Amino acid sequence: MAQTNPQSSLQVGTWDQLKTRLNRGIWPYLLITTYSLVVTLLLFRNPSTSRNTDILFVLFLGIMLLTYKMALRPEFKLAIAALFLGIGLPYFGTLNPFYMDIATMVGIFVVLALGLNVTVGFVGLLDLGYIAFYAAGAYLWAIFSTRQAQNIFPGLAHLFPVPPSWFFIFMLLALVVGACMGLLLGSPVLRLRGDYLAIVTLGFGEVIRVLATNLDRPVNITNGAQGIRDIGRPPLFFEPWVREMGVDLSQGQLYQLFFYFLVLLVLGFMIMVVYRLSNSRIGRAWTAIREDETAAIAMGVPLVRMKLTAFAVGASFAAVMGTIFAAKQLFINPPTFDLLRSINVLSMVILGGMGSIPGVILGATLVTLLNLQLLPRLARELSVLQIPSQFDPTQYQRMLFGLLLILMTIFRPAGILPEDRRRQELEGNAIDVPAEIEQSPPQATEPDVGMKS
Amino acid sequence: MVVQATTGSGHLVGQRSIKTILLEIFGPLLQVLMFVLGSATILSLIVILFAFVLRGSRTDIDLLQGTLIILPQVIIDGMVRGFLFATIALGYTMVYGVLEFINFAHGEIFMVGAFVGAGFGLSLAQQRMLADFPPLLFVVLAILLGMIVSGVLAMLTERIAYRPLRNAPRLVPLISAIGMSLFLQDLVRMIALATGMGFNVRFQTPPLGGSLPLGQIPIGGDRFASFSIDSRALIFIVAAIIMLIGLNYLINVTRLGKAIRAVAQDRATASLMGINVNRIIALTFLIGGALGGAAGVLFGIRVGTINPYVGFLPGLKAFTAAVLGGIGNITGAMVGGIVLGFLEAFVASYLSLFTRGQFAGANYADIAAFSILILILIFRPSGLLGEATTQKV
Amino acid sequence: MALLQAKNVTKQFGGLLAVNDVTLTIDRGSIVSVIGPNGAGKTTFFNVLTGIYKPDKGSITFNGQSLLNLRSDQITACGITRTFQNIRLFNNMTVLENVLVGMHSRLHAPMWNIIFRTPTMRQEERQARQKARELLHFVGLDDKRDDLAKNLPYGDQRRLEIARALASEPKMVLLDEPTAGMNPHETASATRLIQRLRDDMGVTVVLIEHDMKVVMSISERISVLDYGIKIAEGTPDDIRANPRVIEAYLGKGATQESEATHQDPEITTQEAEVHTTPEVRRQKPAL
Repeated sequence: MAQTNPQSSLQVGTWDQLKTRLNRGIWPYLLITTYSLVVTLLLFRNPSTSRNTDILFVLFLGIMLLTYKMALRPEFKLAIAALFLGIGLPYFGTLNPFYMDIATMVGIFVVLALGLNVTVGFVGLLDLGYIAFYAAGAYLWAIFSTRQAQNIFPGLAHLFPVPPSWFFIFMLLALVVGACMGLLLGSPVLRLRGDYLAIVTLGFGEVIRVLATNLDRPVNITNGAQGIRDIGRPPLFFEPWVREMGVDLSQGQLYQLFFYFLVLLVLGFMIMVVYRLSNSRIGRAWTAIREDETAAIAMGVPLVRMKLTAFAVGASFAAVMGTIFAAKQLFINPPTFDLLRSINVLSMVILGGMGSIPGVILGATLVTLLNLQLLPRLARELSVLQIPSQFDPTQYQRMLFGLLLILMTIFRPAGILPEDRRRQELEGNAIDVPAEIEQSPPQATEPDVGMKS
Repeated sequence: MVVQATTGSGHLVGQRSIKTILLEIFGPLLQVLMFVLGSATILSLIVILFAFVLRGSRTDIDLLQGTLIILPQVIIDGMVRGFLFATIALGYTMVYGVLEFINFAHGEIFMVGAFVGAGFGLSLAQQRMLADFPPLLFVVLAILLGMIVSGVLAMLTERIAYRPLRNAPRLVPLISAIGMSLFLQDLVRMIALATGMGFNVRFQTPPLGGSLPLGQIPIGGDRFASFSIDSRALIFIVAAIIMLIGLNYLINVTRLGKAIRAVAQDRATASLMGINVNRIIALTFLIGGALGGAAGVLFGIRVGTINPYVGFLPGLKAFTAAVLGGIGNITGAMVGGIVLGFLEAFVASYLSLFTRGQFAGANYADIAAFSILILILIFRPSGLLGEATTQKV
Repeated sequence: MALLQAKNVTKQFGGLLAVNDVTLTIDRGSIVSVIGPNGAGKTTFFNVLTGIYKPDKGSITFNGQSLLNLRSDQITACGITRTFQNIRLFNNMTVLENVLVGMHSRLHAPMWNIIFRTPTMRQEERQARQKARELLHFVGLDDKRDDLAKNLPYGDQRRLEIARALASEPKMVLLDEPTAGMNPHETASATRLIQRLRDDMGVTVVLIEHDMKVVMSISERISVLDYGIKIAEGTPDDIRANPRVIEAYLGKGATQESEATHQDPEITTQEAEVHTTPEVRRQKPAL
């Protein structure tokens, strides 16, 4: 798993040499600074939605990838990441809300993919009903922040909908609810072997979706197929301060910024959690289970408890993201949480590399960009070329992700940024490096591996 | 595994008496028919009991009478669903038997069969030959076409998406199969849209006749419940039974069947004994796919309208059926299909009757199917007919 | 003094009595060998002791505590660990991580502490790594700490398995054919390592072994199983002289038996005995 693919080294020996040369000394600093400045300036010059902006936006996000890949000092990487995520991206978002929305959705899906990666990548349990936990979180806030809840507790009708500021309490509540659901589903099914588990979780996901579609009778809980609209949004508690600072933004833009930073916060926390867990006794037990269950038990790893922990961690974060999603979209309905969405998240994990945290982040970013931005763009370009609407690429997500899953499993099962335990191990001693920021590769390791093979 | 059970007596075919051969072909079928009767009786008794108990709660209609009126139709519906799941489940179970791998795309193989049949009907209609075409010949030809295309497609999917992954960790080919399932759904949709068939395709057939009245039963007073069987349902059941007989012959009597059983039991040893394992696995996919394709055509004839996503749910339920019967076990798959079909038909019809339509039955039938799956996997993962230890220890 | 007492242990698979009414006492601080022809039930006996199988009959007491209703991982926590005949390392983890997994039952940092990296958790982790390094030093693998386990040469993999087993601070280690497939040089060094387990670490050692040179040189007591029945027990000299053993085992000329002849069939039996989880199928021979 840890080896870089041999074919590329055959073809691009010179490319590797160039990479090694550019990855030494002052060069990476110069490169990344130039690249960031050029792309940022180009992007900010014309923020209107267009093909060029689409391309530039992807290049813009590429700053993060380059920063991660290059041999830079950790402090420098941190500074770039902070500038990028804290200022650059949100500022651009105020210029063009479409891209802000995409950035927020990317964040949501990165968290989901990281959560699924815990079960699929770390422990090796294929969970095909993962989106059910997301749905649970979304419906939790949707029901209690609207009049829906009055139907469930007719006697307490005056209490509902709950005040919008309770949103934050419900985020915590979703964390608990998600974890409990994970435990509830997990405790009976975790004894099953891998492929049965996959089908049962798929069934569970479908059951949740069918329930969401049908629980408008006898008591209207979910409002059925119509979905729930006018979901409550948390109050913009920071609005006065922002206004005082002289920032002139509409309420919609402020909400966008709010959700962006909220997602970023949860994402940062999530990355910290999964990174730290993966380098702890719990994470090692997970990987040991994935590698050899019998040996893991014999070494004293409590199988069921560790699997349940993994399920609960993944589920709780999915549920939290569900509440944020519901509040952000203001409207949810059952089709949002169908199997295709679960498989979408799975493709993110497979594409990026099962078990690899940076890989999964990259995979989720790519798939979300593809879904929300690139495919619609491609569709528009194609319609100009008079391609019949039957071939609209946005309509063929299943084909695309199906192909992606097949090709990845056959040609690159470890993903595009594979898990590299050796590197983690080398850095394992540097416990105090802030885990929110991805770890720096040891100088010139990567090109070396490529050239040797 | 039943496929293992007979290998001990695996002498040359010629040396076996006609009686054993007949027993091996029709024995499983008898078992299936017993389960048909058993499931129908038990479930009928249960709903009648419910009707008795709940009778007092309803003043608007006589619940018992209502129950009895629809009962024969529900049983026929159960049989059709049962044979549908059984024929699809065979594909899952055979592949699982030889590869220990859930061919997630099998539901799509089934769907492709339905589309081939529909395409056949459509092209006949375009030639203005459909109305005069002999109905029986149409059915046979459509099934054969569906079997060929689906079987070859199943073989292709194995060659492309599964064989390269044969020695990978177990989850990897499953992921590839999920990908294949999605890919096929959209591929068929693309083809259907591009050829102008549209998303929802009407399955055109020559006139196949209406319902055949079967009789009437008195249900108290001067009222009678007349019940009949739809000719399409009848075609379905008959064709399914013929296919099951054929499969039993193939698996239990022929050399190919013996090779399949040998590969299922121990791939490595089978290859040492001179069996070309890759060929046998490909043929297993071919047979399973062909059965799935035939089921697809029959399903299309029965329901009338199909779309590219129509294979997913039956596929999943057929997998449930295969697990219910004991995955890897061929008779088990048929039995599991029958039991699941009956359960679903009863839940779909009676849940809403008993709850005054508060719970729409059709949706909860899906939930019932999945709940059954989850419960079986937890409490009896070896299934109804599986041995206590399914794992190859 | 008895550390482990197994009384009348019986394990049946269908009609096969794999372990039949075996009674065995192992003294604290001893080195004991369990020998017997292929398929005699030795590995099954280990599997019963470590909780992979539940015995059908009999009792097992370890350190004064019954093991009957404990799961494998709890038994490990009690102080019994093992190695596997067909090496079962965590292939895609590093050497050091393999040892750290072995330490699982001795680490207790709750999830909360891990997420917030509390000082206690950090200290525990530091100590664990320190101890893992010491163990790797003990088996002679310190320079391979950061290699992936699957990339180690065969002999080193066996050593790593021993280090991983030691990581749970066991009172007793069960070694399942620790020298199988080794050349004489490697065997000698492995034998020394086993001796040091007891002498330097104070661990009681029970081993299944076919190499009679190893068995006779380091065991204090030997038990002989045949068809699941314990047919003899005693010091190496007793066993050498025991006519039943000679008939069942040594009589076949097993003293000179080379690894090459017994290696393959034994591994097949072993696979049949230990394969209880689906993951094992990964190791099915490729076609």
